Amino acid sequence: MNRLLRRLRYLRDRRQMEADLAEEIRIHQAMAARDLERRGMTAAEAALEGRRAMGAIAQMREDARGVWTWPWLESVWQDLGYAARSFRRQPGFAAVAILALACGIGLNTSLFTVFNAVALRPWSVREPARVVRVFGFVRDVVKQFDTLGGFSAVEYRYLAEHTKSMSGLFLMRGEGGLHTDVGKARGQYVTANYFRVLGVEMERGRGFLAEEDRSESPVAVAVLSYTAWQNRFAADPAVLGRHIRIEEVPFTIVGVAPPDFGGTNPEPTDLWLPFRSMAMLNPNDSWARAFLRDRNSCCADVAGRLAPGISRAQARTELGMLRADFHHQFGEKSLGVVLRGTAPLQSIGRKAGNFYAVFGLMFAGVMLVLLLACANVGNLLLARAAARRREIGVRLSLGAGRGRVVRQLFTESLLLAGIASAGGVFLAFVLPRPLFTRIAGVVSFPLRPDAVVLAFTLGLAALACVAFGLAPALHATRDNCSGALKQRQAPARGSLSLRSFLLTVQVAVSAILLVGAGLMVRGVQHARALDPGFAVEGVDSLAFEFPTSAYQTTRVAGFYDNLARGLDGLPGALPFGFTALDPLGNTRGYTSFRLPGQDDSRRSGILTNTVSAGYFEILRIPIVAGRNFEPADSGHSVLLINQAMADRYFPHESAIGKSVIIDKPQQIVGIVRNAHTWTLDDVEPALYFPISYGLPPRLLLSHTAANMAAVTALTKSLDPRVEMRETRLSDNLDQWLSATRIGALIAGLLGVLALSLASIGVSGVFAYAVQQRTQEIGIRMALGARPSQVIALVFRSAGRPLLAGLALGLLASVAGAALLRQYIFGLSHLDPVTYVAVLGTLAMAGMAATWLPARRAVRVDPIEALRQD
Amino acid sequence: MEKNSELLPGTLDLLILKVLVRGTMHGYGIAQRLKAISGEVLQVGESSLYPALQRLLLNGWVEAEWGASENNRRARFYKLTPLGRKQLGVERQEFQRMITAIQKVLETA
Repeated sequence: MNRLLRRLRYLRDRRQMEADLAEEIRIHQAMAARDLERRGMTAAEAALEGRRAMGAIAQMREDARGVWTWPWLESVWQDLGYAARSFRRQPGFAAVAILALACGIGLNTSLFTVFNAVALRPWSVREPARVVRVFGFVRDVVKQFDTLGGFSAVEYRYLAEHTKSMSGLFLMRGEGGLHTDVGKARGQYVTANYFRVLGVEMERGRGFLAEEDRSESPVAVAVLSYTAWQNRFAADPAVLGRHIRIEEVPFTIVGVAPPDFGGTNPEPTDLWLPFRSMAMLNPNDSWARAFLRDRNSCCADVAGRLAPGISRAQARTELGMLRADFHHQFGEKSLGVVLRGTAPLQSIGRKAGNFYAVFGLMFAGVMLVLLLACANVGNLLLARAAARRREIGVRLSLGAGRGRVVRQLFTESLLLAGIASAGGVFLAFVLPRPLFTRIAGVVSFPLRPDAVVLAFTLGLAALACVAFGLAPALHATRDNCSGALKQRQAPARGSLSLRSFLLTVQVAVSAILLVGAGLMVRGVQHARALDPGFAVEGVDSLAFEFPTSAYQTTRVAGFYDNLARGLDGLPGALPFGFTALDPLGNTRGYTSFRLPGQDDSRRSGILTNTVSAGYFEILRIPIVAGRNFEPADSGHSVLLINQAMADRYFPHESAIGKSVIIDKPQQIVGIVRNAHTWTLDDVEPALYFPISYGLPPRLLLSHTAANMAAVTALTKSLDPRVEMRETRLSDNLDQWLSATRIGALIAGLLGVLALSLASIGVSGVFAYAVQQRTQEIGIRMALGARPSQVIALVFRSAGRPLLAGLALGLLASVAGAALLRQYIFGLSHLDPVTYVAVLGTLAMAGMAATWLPARRAVRVDPIEALRQD
Repeated sequence: MEKNSELLPGTLDLLILKVLVRGTMHGYGIAQRLKAISGEVLQVGESSLYPALQRLLLNGWVEAEWGASENNRRARFYKLTPLGRKQLGVERQEFQRMITAIQKVLETA
């Protein structure tokens, strides 16, 4: 071990150590010479004597150095130096190869960085592998399968008090937008043990005390996130003890979380509050008031730390039994619990599948780019090896073992891959965060490469290196030396077939990537042109926010009544409508129903919205049968359904006048045309309830200056504290398309990258074909061949792999594009426009790539060509 | 010229370690001392001495330090480390075993 350290120190201080040795030997010789002189030799004789020993000295210094170093390391170093020099001689080749590989490796590393952050990396807390999230199985009546859910506070307390397999369990629940005197903030309610169980060391101050989470506690305290402290309090060193008002309630800041702890939500958390503040901040919400006491008030999330020596399976068994005990007290059955890791995607249950599918597709895309890059570089290396046949031949005939030469060539590949990986990792540092934030918003977890990502990159680089480097290296050294030395020998048949294979791969891969990119771009176009089935342009959605502490549910309803009356009374009576859900606003409401005569286990899930009669008018959704809501319907059990629901559940009869049973029978009075108000995919069956202002609805009306002014004035006159937020429906539509648009943008960039890489590859292969056959071309031209014949000759040499690649690529695309179907908004994955465009693009690129080499072929001077060699 | 080529492998290391027991010494001094003690039989040249010293350094049996020689010239002095002292014992024993073995062969064969 110490030997190794000393060796490494020698390598580090090599220059100094060698200088020491040289100096030492010089002194030794000086001493020896002086002794000789003293014994009567002349100075000249003594010097001569000294010099006689010189021959041995060089060898001796080598020997002395050899003591310290490993011989193989020396020779690897030598190989690397040789490789670097050879790249410096051909900077163009090196640049293209490194750039291509860096793109391929960089894209893969970037994507893996994101995947690692959302699917693999746990919360950044102490011993993260021991922290688990706990979910209870819940039977979902709507979707008819078991889903994962949270726990009521009462059940959580039972588990926390009785568990022995967890050293700590805590409860948490996010609170979207809290109004504070330092702006809107994202909060999280947590039990007092939250920071202690996670092992988060506070940047300043402390976490919560147990008594601060009791409902009788008189003080309200909060912990700030590091970012909130920096941005909203200008990193005030005296922030502890300061008061802030949250929803008009004064809170005292007792702590600041450390910078590397962004919270346990995917979105960043600005402040943490003890659970008991939930009731203080929502005095009018009966659910929030009862949450800590009522076992039917559900739900919040539970997580905790496994006790030392306890496995997940053991903890799961114990918590499952405790849960069963808890429910047994009330004569209920429990479905058990599940423990999950804390990476964002690990805890979202079934929905994670969709994300994994998207990741799978994207990985396929970037892996294809890497494959393309490897094929490209492999081909470049082959061409290079062909140009170096003589050099390699000389080395082989001078007695270098084939293994040694292969190692030299392979080292060059290693160096290429190494430099490219460095570039790739750099890309992974700058690329993922801005892109991911564009798609998914700001997140609490870091999107930077870590050790896992670096290991991935290293593995990838090694694989790539083998993929593009090994075959050419073996290939180049295959000839026997005499053959290689005879430069004029025709290229070996095999070399061409490897090149053809690589060319086929390149063309096929770029065709696949282009088809994918084309479909995505066309999909966005298609969705833009798609008729959403309702009026999007020129309609605004207005949301109202009430000071929560001052408004009770009845008062909110009163506000809307007054608003509706006021709008009706305006001169010109502008059309307006109310809706609980914003059209294309990313929220869906579900309920379940059954038809009369069916038993309760046959309930079906269905989309719902709660709207006023004006909703269908302002959005221009026609009533196709029956009637719209009427003022007299208020309080009556009537509803409207969409065409999709009528088609599915009342296929051979009129649905008007029929009933569906939700909790009591409700009568269908009208059918409206299908509209994409929930998603842009196929319209699902849905039903509409008449509005009753229970949940704060949104107001829809035409976007004109006069309308806006009228509503603003009306709101102000009703209550100046009510805030109004305006969204354009076209923005909602854009938002829907933006993720896909970014997807299309990324796919498009991959396509362009693939096209350029393939073009370089094709161009290189043709150039090589021309170079190989210069003499033959010269003879043919001397014998009267026309330029077109020469071009045909060149093209024939590489035409077959080109066509094969194209055919293969298109076939694979047709087969693979089905995977894209759910991301292209109903566009056919066999969209002919896409395929024709891809063919055209590839043909143009192919022509551009072959033009230069072909021109060179035509310009071959027969005399020159024949005179060569 | 040099007569050490016939030394048993590893013996030079042992001799250097032994010489250093009496105190720190520079390379030339070590060579002179070996020569003197052995009655001019062992004349160790630079080409074996310095690689051997480097080997001892690598193994941590000696340490080197620059200092001033007897007539105030710069020289690099070698010093036995505790580890080296222990090694000397081991090597001595080994050498003894070897010599005994060789002698046995010479006497009986």
